[in-house]
Amino acid sequence: EGFEVTYLPVGSDGLIDLDRLVKEIRPDTGLVSVMAVNNEIGVVQPVEEIGKICKEFNVPFHTDAAQALGKIKVDVEKWNVSLMSLSGHKIYGPKGVGALYLRRRPRIRVEPQMNGGGQERGIRSGTVPTPLVVGMGAACELAMKEMEYDENRIKGLQERLLNGIREKIDGVVVNGSMDRRYVGNLNLSFAYVEGESLLMGLKEVAVSSGSACTSASLEPSYVLRALGVDEDMAHTSIRFGIGRFTTEEEIDRAVELTVKQVEKLREMSPLYEMVKEGIDIKQIQWAQH
Amino acid sequence: MRNNIRERERRQMAASGVAAPTRTEVLQLYRSLLRVARQFCDYNIREYSKRRTIDAFRDNKNLTDPSQLSAAFSDGKAQLEVAKRQALVYSLYTPKVKSIMDIKPS
Repeated sequence: EGFEVTYLPVGSDGLIDLDRLVKEIRPDTGLVSVMAVNNEIGVVQPVEEIGKICKEFNVPFHTDAAQALGKIKVDVEKWNVSLMSLSGHKIYGPKGVGALYLRRRPRIRVEPQMNGGGQERGIRSGTVPTPLVVGMGAACELAMKEMEYDENRIKGLQERLLNGIREKIDGVVVNGSMDRRYVGNLNLSFAYVEGESLLMGLKEVAVSSGSACTSASLEPSYVLRALGVDEDMAHTSIRFGIGRFTTEEEIDRAVELTVKQVEKLREMSPLYEMVKEGIDIKQIQWAQH
Repeated sequence: MRNNIRERERRQMAASGVAAPTRTEVLQLYRSLLRVARQFCDYNIREYSKRRTIDAFRDNKNLTDPSQLSAAFSDGKAQLEVAKRQALVYSLYTPKVKSIMDIKPS
């Protein structure tokens, strides 16, 4: 019973190694599932290339496009996806509604999650929540119209945020590839500063030190660990999200508060003091009492 | 999701000779949109409505083709209706907590 899962590693830029994917596909591989845009670091996977590989090996391809919808161009034919997960609230639609794209040709068959009245050919039993679905449709329509405008704006804001922070403090690392990324997601690590304490100090800025899916655990995010980020840097990461409604003033305020908070924490940190004196903290033998 | 029905309506309207808006009408629409924007209690929505109006009118300022002008104008009017309705609905459910950007530093 059950299925065997093969987890593919990612490079330090967060991208899948395509050659590794080709190697790991077996004759009995039932599904390849890759997230299109990562929610923690904002990296965009090479979905088109992965789709091509899946077509070659005739394996169904599922992608979680919740963060991709309305933000990057989604083309199910180019990507060769058989299944695609979509979420309403990620494109400024209502919460509580999502969609699953199922390819017609070649038809992909799924097992229903819930059994009941047999609506939608037995795949989705239950009554459609009309207001939510209409809301999601309207949000999609708007997102298509506004995608270019939003992207240009958000790109400028992202640069403003990153440059603003880098001008005032050093030891700032961007997690994930800088080229293949969605502009509205910026995951930064601040050396010698702990993430949760930084978060508690940034009371007026709504940022996160991980994704909502891992909010219960205090462990550093599995995404950063997969990138190969050192333990100490993984604990310091903060994710900034920029969207359609973010203003320049908010970015400036976020820069100001972040810089102030990071400087304050570094001031208090004995590790930072040692680094400034030139001590290599990786060589320290911590005494046991 | 392409809305072909709306496209067809727009083309029909333009073809039937709906006159392009006059300069006064355009300015009136612009002012009305900015006025509605000010009525939003939420900082982010208020700023977005203001900014989007200014950018949209600026992007379209060099249109000369009358059917394109009518299309943009009716689009703007439709957005005005949405904004007026939403400003009213949101004002009925104003949250007590204001955005941090609206609170003057003490």
